[in-house]
Amino acid sequence: MADQAFAGQPIVEPSTAPDDVLRIEHIAKRFGPITALRDINLHLRKGEVLGLLGDNGAGKSTLVKIICGFHKADSGSMWLKGKPYAPKSVLDARAQGVDTVYQDLALVDELSATQNLFLRREQTYRPLPFLAGRKMRREARAALDEIGINIPRIDLPAARLSGGQRQAIAVARAIRDQSEILLLDEPLAAMGAKEGAMILDLIARLKDRGDVSIIMIVHNYVQVFQACDRANLIQDGLITFDKPTAESSVDELNEIVVEEYRRARQAEMSGNGEASRYNAA
Amino acid sequence: MAVAPEKAPEKAPAQRPPARGAGTVALDWAKKGLALRESSIIVVIVASLVYFGATTPGFFSGWKNLLPYFCFLAIMAAGEVFVMTLGEIDLSIGALWLFTPFMYWKLTSAGIPLLPSVILALMIASLLGGVNGFFTAYVGIPSFVATLAMLFFLDGLALILSHSQQITTPGTSVTQTSTFASVFGAGTYSELIWALVIMGILQVVLTFTRWGIYTVATGGNRLGASEAGVKTRLVVVRNFMLCATTAGIAGILEAVRTSSITPDPSGSNQFLLYAVAAVIIGGTLMTGGEGTVVGAFLGALFIGILQDGLTLKSVNANYLYLWLGIAVIIAMTLYVLVRRIRRGSGRG
Ligand SMILES: Nc1ncnc2c1ncn2[C@@H]1O[C@H](COP(=O)(O)OP(=O)(O)OP(=O)(O)O)[C@@H](O)[C@H]1O
Ligand SMILES: [Mg+2]
Repeated sequence: MADQAFAGQPIVEPSTAPDDVLRIEHIAKRFGPITALRDINLHLRKGEVLGLLGDNGAGKSTLVKIICGFHKADSGSMWLKGKPYAPKSVLDARAQGVDTVYQDLALVDELSATQNLFLRREQTYRPLPFLAGRKMRREARAALDEIGINIPRIDLPAARLSGGQRQAIAVARAIRDQSEILLLDEPLAAMGAKEGAMILDLIARLKDRGDVSIIMIVHNYVQVFQACDRANLIQDGLITFDKPTAESSVDELNEIVVEEYRRARQAEMSGNGEASRYNAA
Repeated sequence: MAVAPEKAPEKAPAQRPPARGAGTVALDWAKKGLALRESSIIVVIVASLVYFGATTPGFFSGWKNLLPYFCFLAIMAAGEVFVMTLGEIDLSIGALWLFTPFMYWKLTSAGIPLLPSVILALMIASLLGGVNGFFTAYVGIPSFVATLAMLFFLDGLALILSHSQQITTPGTSVTQTSTFASVFGAGTYSELIWALVIMGILQVVLTFTRWGIYTVATGGNRLGASEAGVKTRLVVVRNFMLCATTAGIAGILEAVRTSSITPDPSGSNQFLLYAVAAVIIGGTLMTGGEGTVVGAFLGALFIGILQDGLTLKSVNANYLYLWLGIAVIIAMTLYVLVRRIRRGSGRG
């Protein structure tokens, strides 16, 4: 199965693909008995939006967390703009230009919208250690206005914000730093139709700037084809699909995923334990 | 003739919301007051002051008697706020309160001058706090258990070091008060000044610095905070070190004030419970993510008022516990309710 998965996707050495901002080779990650990622090979071109697809539990978030320095991969290697890349921490990755919107948003209910937006990015009245509250509030307001999402009171605790507003804060936080690589783990999950469109617009604008490359996890295939240049599908800990969205269609993706599901069902019925994870669904 | 209104009504632009009446403004302030974490404790303190002022002659004129009851508690509680805001607890502050003066005594007996001994003893206390933090954050033992172990360990060590004998605090004498002694607790207002300064500094740290923000973030959402890049384990260790240091300061101040140290673990652990009660009454829930140093100070003040007032009324000391029990449960209930209002109903 693995051989078939990598047909047509030979490993290109980083030096021979100068427009790849990020390359990932043979990344594997286990959590105790669970193998989240088996052998992930993936590349991201400069200025590109790569859609990452896969079932629940396929390991998409895990992959993102490895790229952003939150998890350490068990094996494999990564290259950032042709140089070996092994972030020691989230901060280290951020310093190298990789920023993240986490699936769980990483917001603190007790902190205000502004404090959340500046969490671990606080500004102080240097050389004094005191937080520059007014300045941060002003910039938070500007950042949220740029996204176009309405949060009337940014000094309220985040617990009192709506799901979409929370998501907007997480997105604003990640894009404010002018990172070169953005990892967006389901940035549209809690968004209303209008707000979702705003975020997609924002992504399009970032793309127009040309210097930002984005990996985006999305479940909605329609949005994939709206926003992404290319789509990768994670199945069984491997990338099993890699095509520009222009050359694919919702139907094709559906076909692949549903086919996989049918195969698994079949295998299960014939007593193959390997596919038992579908039981949980 | 009708009295002209004080202010001519403003010509508000049409798109502006209408000017709000005094009633709405008052309601707003009431809501803000209610939302203030320290509001309940302020009400409770005022009530207790009125009660003791009215029923106990000499309560206000002898207000200085209050100081020894609450100042050192306020210092212990200030550090504990940083731990309880993390959603953790430090049970070893009573033991540290007891142990640090003995350490100080040992160091001076080894020939080290007074002030360096104080500083060294406090550094040792903070290291012991670091051990609490290490076991909590890195080994993954619940802080309740890790600090309980530290409590027994230090109580034992204090008893062993002192051979269970009361000792005279180095640098103090019953007949005259040296500058050192009056600075470190023996002066009438010395402990109060320490308590106020420590409260002020730590409240500023909690509200206006990164340290404070990371403390709230770590207490509120540990995974999220670490995803955002906060080194949450380091925050935990740091706060346990701070908490142990304030407990050590309180211990040394008390030892100098009373000019003797008695190795009495049951007494010191009583103070642990008072300090935790002060933190809770003051508005720092153990649920993590919320804390107030000023509130803890006021909580300690309330416990001091209770102790002082009940002593003056020569009421049986058991009433102290009774009232404290009631105060703790009322405070906690109030905060849970207020929090529900503040956050909007639904999200507990
Ligand atoms: N911190 C962790 N500890 C243990 N297991 C984990 C951890 N994080 C993820 N896993 C496991 O790894 C697998 C992949 O999880 P991951 O969150 O990456 O999936 P996902 O593709 O993002 O799914 P979803 O679409 O539901 O977000 C799951 O089986 C999950 O249980
Ligand atoms: Mg996920």
